[in-house]
Amino acid sequence: MAGGTYQAELSRAGAGATGVWGQALFFVRSYPLGAIGAVIMAIFVLAAIFADVITAQSPLTTSARNSLAAPGGTFWMGADFMGRDVYARIVYGARISLAVGIGSTTLGCLIGVSVGLASGYLGGWFDLIVQRVMDIMQALPLLVLALVFAAALGPSLPNTIISIAIPLVPSVARVIRSNTLALRELAFVEAAQAIGMSEWRLAIRHILPNTVAPLIVLATAQLGSTILTEASLSFLGLGVPEPFPSWGRMLSESAAEYMRSAPWLVIFPGVAISLAVFGTNLLGDALRDILDPRQRG
Amino acid sequence: MQRHTRLVFASTLLLAGIAAGAIAQAQEPKRGGVLRMYQRDNPPSASIHEGATFSVNAPFMSVYNNLVRYDTTKAEDTLDTVIPDLATKWSWSADNKALTFTLAPGVKWHDGKPFTSADVKCTMDLVQGKAQDRLRTNPRKSLYDNVLEVVPNGPLEVTFKLGRPQPSLLALLASGYSPMYPCHVSAAQMRTNPIGTGPFKLAEFKQNEIIRLVRNPDYFKPGRPYLDGIELPIITNRSTAMLAFIAGKLDLTFPTEVTQQVYKDLMAQVPNAVCHMGPVNVSTNLIVNRDKPPFDNADLRRAMALTLDRKAFNTIIAEGQAKIGTTMLPKPEGDWGMPEAMMQTIVGYGPDVAKNRAEARKLMEKNGYGPDKRLAVKISTRNIAAYRDPAVILIDHLKEIYIDGELDIVETGVWFGKVARKDYSVGLNLTGNSIDDPDQSFFENYSCNSQRNVTGYCNPELEKQFVAQSQETDIVKRRAMVWEIDRQLQEDVARPIILHNSSGTCWHPEVVGFRPARNSSYNRYRFENVWLNR
Amino acid sequence: MGAYLVRRFGLMLLTLFGISVIIFALLRIVPGNIVDILFDSAGMVDPAEKARIARDLGIDLPLPQQYVAWVSGIARGDLGFSYVSEKPALAEILPRIPITAKLAGLALTFSVLIGVPLGVISAVRQNSWIDYALRVLSLSGLSLPSFWLGLLILTAFVTWTDSMPIYSDRPESLWDTLLLYSVPAAAVGFRSSALVMRLTRSSMLEVLRQDYIRTARAKGASRQSVNYRHALRNALLPVVTVIGIEAAFLIGGLIVTETVFNIPGVARFLVEAIRARDYPIVQNLVMLIAVVVVLVNFIVDMLYAALDPRIKYSG
Repeated sequence: MAGGTYQAELSRAGAGATGVWGQALFFVRSYPLGAIGAVIMAIFVLAAIFADVITAQSPLTTSARNSLAAPGGTFWMGADFMGRDVYARIVYGARISLAVGIGSTTLGCLIGVSVGLASGYLGGWFDLIVQRVMDIMQALPLLVLALVFAAALGPSLPNTIISIAIPLVPSVARVIRSNTLALRELAFVEAAQAIGMSEWRLAIRHILPNTVAPLIVLATAQLGSTILTEASLSFLGLGVPEPFPSWGRMLSESAAEYMRSAPWLVIFPGVAISLAVFGTNLLGDALRDILDPRQRG
Repeated sequence: MQRHTRLVFASTLLLAGIAAGAIAQAQEPKRGGVLRMYQRDNPPSASIHEGATFSVNAPFMSVYNNLVRYDTTKAEDTLDTVIPDLATKWSWSADNKALTFTLAPGVKWHDGKPFTSADVKCTMDLVQGKAQDRLRTNPRKSLYDNVLEVVPNGPLEVTFKLGRPQPSLLALLASGYSPMYPCHVSAAQMRTNPIGTGPFKLAEFKQNEIIRLVRNPDYFKPGRPYLDGIELPIITNRSTAMLAFIAGKLDLTFPTEVTQQVYKDLMAQVPNAVCHMGPVNVSTNLIVNRDKPPFDNADLRRAMALTLDRKAFNTIIAEGQAKIGTTMLPKPEGDWGMPEAMMQTIVGYGPDVAKNRAEARKLMEKNGYGPDKRLAVKISTRNIAAYRDPAVILIDHLKEIYIDGELDIVETGVWFGKVARKDYSVGLNLTGNSIDDPDQSFFENYSCNSQRNVTGYCNPELEKQFVAQSQETDIVKRRAMVWEIDRQLQEDVARPIILHNSSGTCWHPEVVGFRPARNSSYNRYRFENVWLNR
Repeated sequence: MGAYLVRRFGLMLLTLFGISVIIFALLRIVPGNIVDILFDSAGMVDPAEKARIARDLGIDLPLPQQYVAWVSGIARGDLGFSYVSEKPALAEILPRIPITAKLAGLALTFSVLIGVPLGVISAVRQNSWIDYALRVLSLSGLSLPSFWLGLLILTAFVTWTDSMPIYSDRPESLWDTLLLYSVPAAAVGFRSSALVMRLTRSSMLEVLRQDYIRTARAKGASRQSVNYRHALRNALLPVVTVIGIEAAFLIGGLIVTETVFNIPGVARFLVEAIRARDYPIVQNLVMLIAVVVVLVNFIVDMLYAALDPRIKYSG
């Protein structure tokens, strides 16, 4: 598994599939669920990028006349209590969800990779202490740790990203550490050492690239849970604050209040969260199968 | 047109409800049963003197008695509807500077000790901060600055000696915020295990779960209360609570929690529910930090007052059912609301919003702002829907006059500290008034040294008028004085009032004898005359 | 084994100590403290009184002193006083534990009863349409936020039955109790069952690939017998560890679900206490959660070590 990159695996498994399109076609044929996941994710990413192009209304403009307008006409997903377009809020909400999802996953992976590399490579006391700290962090459920961090840092977009990123660190660090330990024993590393390569250069030039595959698998798997955690935090009122349209917050308070009279306020944001997470999970599963065949189901 | 119909419909329903209540009232009240209401949040304590929200009054007012109270069979809580409670009668001295109460005999505290005039003195000393024992928080201390001394004359008589005449003192003492506390129980114990003389005793207070009150069998009013007890499960999610009400698991909603939108839903589901919809004497207002740039500039404050489209706020927040007014609760519910014609002349109250905004833009331009040089401002507000929603609308209105507002959501726990430190530029705030009385409103929110005066507005000249109106015994003259003060407060953009909120309380028809006041949400939770017809 | 147990136990204590330090430190950097909250709830207090409140609550002491007081208190069974209710924290927390425990127990049962059989079916019929359908189902289960599921269930419940389960500590009947807990438990359990199903499936697949299964097949054992007598028994062992993972997973779900269904358990209490900056409650609750998670994992590890003859522990 250690040496497998995405393309190599694909071309090996694809047996003759050539070119980008050929590989894509092969991917769709052999991992239909993964392909669906990729499409869902692509839709969300595109929606986030082109939010201002694909919405006619601003997600923030309030309008007295359209308060709780039912879906149809101008507001095809309806309007909320303050007459804001639910569709626009969901599209712009994708920005927030993806910003938090990708932001915290990236941040968590960056910290996790540095900690894991250092821990695995340096070993000794440092490794021991780091492992204990990781143990400590893993003893708390993701949401509990994120809640405490969010409360400690106060509600804001960057703080939400940090609050969710930190609980991700241990699992990333663990994977990287064990890979580093395994790689350190391998021949090419010994060879590099023999020709006098410095330790850090060795770690970054040779060991890091070889841990990319498991990292991608892990990151995709975590992406879904970060999106969910952000939604939960915002639902509990400790996540991304107004005026940013966050799916989780759209579901809390005012939406819950109108679940009978304006069910679209409950349904659409919930569907958005579920679909986004579902997409990352499908894609994550497929990537795991491709990149980490040991765990292939 | 449609809105108008709804209003008529609502009033008709209310009338029908009251009529039904009257029929039931004619019938002999039934003893027994447990009233199930809910509590919208975890009350900070059971000590009403330390509270500043009716989240404390509603569950705990029935544990206590006042000297005097408001007549709950009347529509409004005013000086004219004050009736005896622990005091059987009262009289003013000839110079109107001493108020003497005669106390009911044979009243016992929940622990069996007798209630006497000494307890009245202890309570007032505690509230005035003169006692050895201290209230942990004391929000209404400044309201009683005019009380020089409380003198017991024997166990069943007590005199309040005042610095100047103050007819409204009686109204203050009748409010739900003025219960009598015993001398022999510490202020700390009153927070968790209160001892009162009231019709119900606190049986259980489980944090974030439930409050249980049981009938006080030794209550001094014969035959009262009718109920065996009151249960208030704490339900923080309003929709969950309303669903429980619809499902018949609750007899009564928490006061004022029924918004216009919820009301429509409730009426569709439980058409025979009785609802009281109307003003709650809580205003939504703008607080502007007048000590800090850029809003130390009077032009900018004026421009903000001009851009407010009060009608738009009203439509979104209360489906047009809220009241537009000034500091005092508007007519007809309010006793002190200024005449419509007078209000129209005040800055920002004129009906032509476009014209107002044009004027506002001129003021902004005069100070160097314009389409290309916009002013960025943080709008601070508390993280509660009732604050957040209008703040979002406000940002929309400020856009019209070259101001780009960004919402600064402050957690409830930090909000007041932040405001008290004046650590804000513009804030969206809610101000509740326990009684419809100028003394309470002016002294608490606008006097120079009141700590509830969060904007720091200080006008010594106007404050002299506060005192003058307070001691005026001629109601017609006093009213005119109050209007003038109120107009001046708005013109000075002291704390622009956006609107007076309107919402309601609903109950199932089995609940008899509960009637919210038209002009306050703080005073009618004694529940001694409430009974269940089932 | 003995040495392994001791070492593992020592590590557990170390972990708990570390958690206590982290939690304590984190809560002290929270902006806005309880004194501000009291300030707010009352509308105002005299600034001079603010210092007195801080003194009354013991939050004017140096931090290390506060920490030592807390930890030594835990050892004596004294968790301090809730700032909000002014009652002993223990008295506030203890009665809520059974509520959450019942809910968690029901949810766990639900998730195992549904997750394990479906996971087995999915593995045995690998790559069949039923496997695909079940995998999609489990993935969608993992993708639904449990508070949304809770909201949908509540809405449906009210729409169809015109009634709703509302928590009462004195339920009128057994049916009420069951209804009260089973609806939210299903909301939490649905997500957990998806997790159990995935883990069961992959552990079952792993076993099915083992040599002894191939051997059994080669020796002519029936497919049924191989799948259920040999493979399932061995696959269930790793599934035990699922319960360890579940403990942490369930708590996350319970926090939002107790909030949606207004159930006064420990999980919702944590959120309320965080909002109210009630440190004694928050730090003790987080500690409690950590103890539960760590202890469950410890027991699971021990069980695993005792049950699996292949693993030798040298200490």
